[in-house]
Amino acid sequence: MRIVIDIFLVIGLYFALAGTIGIIKMPDVFSRMQASTCVATLGMLCIAIAGILYAAFYMHNAGAAIKIAVIGLMVMVTNPIGSHVLARGAYKAGIRPEQKMEVDELGRDFDE
Amino acid sequence: MQKTKFPAVVATFLVCYAFWVLLTWSFKAQELAVGAGVSFLVALFAARFFIHEDAGWLFNPARFLKCIGYWLVIFPGELIKANLNMAKICFGGCTNINPGIVKVPTAMKSDYGLAAVSNSITLTPGTITMETAEDENGQNYLYVHWIDVKETDPEKAGEAIKGTMEKALKEVWQ
Repeated sequence: MRIVIDIFLVIGLYFALAGTIGIIKMPDVFSRMQASTCVATLGMLCIAIAGILYAAFYMHNAGAAIKIAVIGLMVMVTNPIGSHVLARGAYKAGIRPEQKMEVDELGRDFDE
Repeated sequence: MQKTKFPAVVATFLVCYAFWVLLTWSFKAQELAVGAGVSFLVALFAARFFIHEDAGWLFNPARFLKCIGYWLVIFPGELIKANLNMAKICFGGCTNINPGIVKVPTAMKSDYGLAAVSNSITLTPGTITMETAEDENGQNYLYVHWIDVKETDPEKAGEAIKGTMEKALKEVWQ
């Protein structure tokens, strides 16, 4: 069981590392936001699963396990709303990537 | 902001009460009663900020099971695929990206369906829903920021972004 918990932790950290590298190296706001989703979904979920398993099998505490599950659920529910509003707000505030985008249909439909 | 309607209050009440029970995790009669009272008050005041549609699908077992199945089986599969893709891009130095905003049509009509599809799209790394729009025929469109644009044709792009997710969600919500 210990090994399973460790595997989940390592997978979570791998995706968190990937997301962090993405946040540092991506060229513009929207791409950075895409990379940050990596941390908030699989990175967080795997670590939450590890926490649930630890609480259930080592602490024998059902309440703690369920609270971790609720934390995971809350992050999954609130994260898309937050990133959607941030991306939309940034676009509406006039932030555009330096590198030309492949297509920009939002700009085409709302800017003229 | 809309007027408070009864179905919205019921839906908000159920969500609040579920969270109360999960967070306290005690089944004494008085705690459950206090939770019900507080949830009802919160629902009464907060319901107008949320989706205004009949939450009757919660009580339809087939649709409810399909909804659970979506969030436990189909969606995690898509999530893992997209996450591996994103990790590859990030460890590859973030140079081979090709960002753009595409407009994709969606078959969803109801608010629940639209919310589920756009949140699923935002949760998968690589795509963020930025805006929704409706044309005069009642067809809904989503504006999606895509890190690696492969298709610019709306139909094909929609298929690539949300094909499997939307097919599964259409069985739950219209």
